[in-house]
Amino acid sequence: MPPIVSLTLFLPLLGALLVMTLGKAPVRRVHAIGIVTSALTLAGALGMWARGVNETGFAQIEELDWMPAIGAAYRVGVDGISLPLVLMSTLLFFVTFIFSAKVRERPRAYVVLMLLLETASIGAFTALDAILFYVFFEVSLVSMYFMIAGWGHEDRQRAALMFFLYTLLGSLPLLLAILGLYLGSEPHSFDMRVWIGSPQLEGTAATLALIAMLFTFAVKTPVFPFHTWLPAAHVQAPAAGSVILAGVMLKFGTYGLVRFALQMTPEAFRDAGIVILGFGVVSALYGAFAALAQSDLKRLIAYTSVNHMGYIIVGVAIAALSLDPAIRATALDGSVLQMVSHGLVTGALFFLVGMLQDRAGTREMDRFGGLLKQVPMLGWSFVLAAFASLGLPGLAHFPAEFQIFLATLRVEPVAVIVILGIVITAGLYLKAIGRVFIDEPRKQWKTMGDLSLREVLTLGPLLILIVAVGIAPAWVLDIIHKTTAALQL
Amino acid sequence: MARDLALLIPEIVVLLTAVSALVAEMLRLPRIALMATLAGLLLATGLTVPLLGADTQVFSGTFRIDMLSVWAKLILLPATVLSVLLARSELGGSDREGTVYSLICLVTLGALVLAGAGDGMLLVLGLLLSGLGSFALVAYPGTETATEAAMKFFVFASVTGAVMIFGLTYWYGGTGSTLLGDLSRLDTAPVVAATGLVAVIVGLGYKASLVPFHFWAPDAYEGAPVSIAAYLSVVPKIGAILALTQVVRDLPVATGWTLVVAVVSALTMSYGYLAALVQDNMIRLLAYSSIAQAGYFLLGVVATAASPLAFESIVVFAAAYVAMNLGAFAVVMGIGRTLSAFSGLGRSHPALGVAMVVFLLSLVGIPPLAGFVGKFLLFGASIDAGFTWLTVVAILNSVLSLAVYLRVVVPIYRPRSDTVASPLAPTVLINVVWIIALLFTLGIGLAAQLLLGQLH
Repeated sequence: MPPIVSLTLFLPLLGALLVMTLGKAPVRRVHAIGIVTSALTLAGALGMWARGVNETGFAQIEELDWMPAIGAAYRVGVDGISLPLVLMSTLLFFVTFIFSAKVRERPRAYVVLMLLLETASIGAFTALDAILFYVFFEVSLVSMYFMIAGWGHEDRQRAALMFFLYTLLGSLPLLLAILGLYLGSEPHSFDMRVWIGSPQLEGTAATLALIAMLFTFAVKTPVFPFHTWLPAAHVQAPAAGSVILAGVMLKFGTYGLVRFALQMTPEAFRDAGIVILGFGVVSALYGAFAALAQSDLKRLIAYTSVNHMGYIIVGVAIAALSLDPAIRATALDGSVLQMVSHGLVTGALFFLVGMLQDRAGTREMDRFGGLLKQVPMLGWSFVLAAFASLGLPGLAHFPAEFQIFLATLRVEPVAVIVILGIVITAGLYLKAIGRVFIDEPRKQWKTMGDLSLREVLTLGPLLILIVAVGIAPAWVLDIIHKTTAALQL
Repeated sequence: MARDLALLIPEIVVLLTAVSALVAEMLRLPRIALMATLAGLLLATGLTVPLLGADTQVFSGTFRIDMLSVWAKLILLPATVLSVLLARSELGGSDREGTVYSLICLVTLGALVLAGAGDGMLLVLGLLLSGLGSFALVAYPGTETATEAAMKFFVFASVTGAVMIFGLTYWYGGTGSTLLGDLSRLDTAPVVAATGLVAVIVGLGYKASLVPFHFWAPDAYEGAPVSIAAYLSVVPKIGAILALTQVVRDLPVATGWTLVVAVVSALTMSYGYLAALVQDNMIRLLAYSSIAQAGYFLLGVVATAASPLAFESIVVFAAAYVAMNLGAFAVVMGIGRTLSAFSGLGRSHPALGVAMVVFLLSLVGIPPLAGFVGKFLLFGASIDAGFTWLTVVAILNSVLSLAVYLRVVVPIYRPRSDTVASPLAPTVLINVVWIIALLFTLGIGLAAQLLLGQLH
C-alpha cells in the first residue's frame, strides 16, 4: 500500500520546491502549479478518507527513524479527530489557491509560502510524534508571518510582528510541556501514542504540564483574554491569509487541546474542567459581544471566530467533566464537527469579505448598501454563509453546536447560558446583512460586478459542503464518532 | 609518553600549522601560508576522527581526551577553516597577511587546550594562548578603533586572568593538587571552593563573554575586522564554555555551583538580548546576540551534574551555533555593517536574503533548524536537572530574541529605498562560507541523528 499520509503531507512541499526551481516563470504557470499541487493533495486526503480510521487508536500509521538517540521518530497517522480536519484543511487550501490566482505581486514567493503552510498544517494534524508536531506547529507560524508581512494591508509589518511574537510566546510553553512528558516517560520517547495510551505524569507535574499546554492552545485558539493578536492579524492579513489563519491554524489550538491537554493529562484536565469550561463560556460570550460592536466586516468575522471557538472549548471541557462515555462522545463529536464547520463557514465568509474589498476597497459596513440587487450571487452567498455561522438548522454549525449544548445541559446545565451567544450572533449578522446588502443602494457601487468564474469556483465547494454537513452530518460524524466513542480518558 | 603524544596528534598538527604559516609569511608567501593553514586544519580534523569514542587522559591527567575535547576539535577546527576563508576575503593582500593565519591557528590551539583541560594550569595556559593571539588579531588593521578595541580587550583580559590565577591558588591550597579531577575533595571546604569558583567564572566568563564580564565584546568585535569578530564569537567562546564544563563536572554540587552558574546564565541571556534590541550596528547586534547565546550554553553546563543529556546538548548546540553564527557574520561581511544595508536584500539578492533569514530564525531556535535541536536538548537537560525556572527564563528570552532578529528580517523584505547605497557584492569566498553554513544549519536540524548517534 502506498504511504498516502506521507504523500499527502509532502506533496505541497514538493510543489514548493518545484516552484522555487522554476526561475522566472510566467505568473499563470506558477499559480497553475499551486492549484494542481493542492488538488493532488486534496485527492490524497480523500484517499485517506477512503481508507478510514480504526475503532481504537490511530490508523494509517507510517513510521521512519529520525532521531532514535533521543526517541524521536517520523510518525504520522490519523484518527477520527484528525482525519476530518485534514480533509477540511486540504479543501480550504485548494480553494485558496484558486482564489489567489489573481495575485500578481511576487507570485512565486506567495505560492511557495502557501504550499509550505499547507504541509505544516497537514503535518500538525497528522503528526504522532511530539517533536514532529512542534516542528510543523512552528513552521506554520513562520510561513504565516511572511504571508502577513508580505501581502497584507497598510499596517502589516506591525501586525505581522505582533502575530509572530505573541504566538511564539504562546507556543514555547508547549515545548516545556513536551519536555516534561518526555522526561516523565520511561523509556524516554516522543511517541504521542505512548503518552496518550498511559499518562506519563501525575500530580503537580501533570498540572504544570497542563497549564503550559493550556496557555499555548489558549493563545492559538484564541480564548479570551489571550485573543488580542487575532483581530489585528486578521485585519492586516490578505484575504487568503485570513482564510487559512481562521479556517486551519486556529484549529491547531482546539486540536491540541483535545490531543495533548485532554488525552495526555486527563486527570489534571478533569480537575481543571470547571475552570476551562468557564474560559470557554466567557470566550464565547465575549466574542459575540465584541463582534456586535464592530463596523469593519473582517473584524466582525474575526470576533465571531472567538465565539465559535469558545463553543469548542465548552464542548471539550464538558467531555472531560462528564462521567458517562456516551455524553462524552456527544460533546467531543460536537466539538470536532464544530472545528470542521467553522473552517468551511469562516473560510467562505473571509473569502466573501475579501471579494467585497477587491471591488470596493473598503470593509466598512456603513459604506455599502443594497448590494443584494447589484451582485446577487455574492450577496446570497454571504447570506447563506452568515446564516450558517449563526447556527441556523440545516447548515453546518447547527449539528455541531446542537450536540455541544445537548451535552452541556446534561453535565453542567448552568453553562448553557452560552447559548446566548447564538442570539447575539444572529442579531449581528442580520444587522450586517441589512447594512451591506439590503439598505438603500448607493450610486458609487452601480458598476460593481458579480462573482467571476474564479470566485464561483472558490466559493462553490465551501457552500455546497456547508449545506451537505448541515443536512446530512452523518458522513463526517460517523468517522469522528468511531474515535470519540472509544476514547479512554 | 609515546601513547600520550599519539593521542595529541591533532593538537600537534595545529601547532605545526601555525608555525608553518608563520614561516611562509617570513618568506613573504601569503598564499602558501593560506594553503598550509587550510591543509593543516583539515588534516587535524581528519586525524581527530579515529579518536571518536575515546575517554582517557594524557600526561598524568592534565589533559583529557574525552567526548568534549574530541568534539571540540571536530567542531572548532572546521569553524576555524571557515573563519580563515572569511579572513582571506577581508584581509587578503594586506601586509603580513600570513601572520593572521598563524595567529588564528594559535588561538584555536588555545581554545582546544581549554576544551580538554584537566588541570588548573592548562586552564591558564589555554586562556593566555587564545587571549594573546586574539588581541593581536583585533589590533591587526592598525586603525585607531582597532587599537582601542584591542587595548580594552587586553586590559580586561589581564585583570580577569589574574583574578582566575589567584582563585586557582585557593583550590590548590584546598586540594593539594592542580588537577581538576581532585576538585571533588573540596566538599568539606565550601569557602575555598566558592572563592575558586567565582574566580574561574571571572576568568572563563570573560572569554565566553558572560554577563557581567562581557563589556569588551561589542567594542572588540566592532573595532576588529568582521572576519575576526566572527571568529572570536565562535571559537574562543566555545573553548571557554567547554573549559567551564570540564571544571564544574568535578566540583561537588554541595558547593552550590549549579545555582551560581544558573544565575549567570539567566543574566547573560536576558542582558544580551535586551541590549541587542536597541542596536543599529549589525556587528554590535550580533555581538550582543552571541553574548546571549553563551547564556544558553550554560543551561547545559548547569545540568552536567544531574542530567545525562548535558554533554550532548552542549556539543550539539556548539555545532549549531558555529554554523548559524558564522553564517550570519558572513552575510554581514558581504552586505554591510549597518542595519539599513539590509533593506531590500531579499529582492536584490534573494538567495542571500533567505540564507540570512534561516540563520536568524535558527538563532531564535525555530524548528526544524539547527538552533532548535540544540536549544531543545539544552532545555531538556536543564529541566532534567531540576532547573525548570531557568528553562522558563530561557524560553522567555527566546521570544525576546525573536524581536531582536526580526528587526533584521523585516528590512530584508522591504522595498529598497534609493537613498541607501547599493550593497557590496559578496566575494566568492564569502559565498562559499555562507553556503556551507546554510547547509549545516539545515542539516543539523533535519539530520540531527547523524550527530546524536555519534554522541551516544
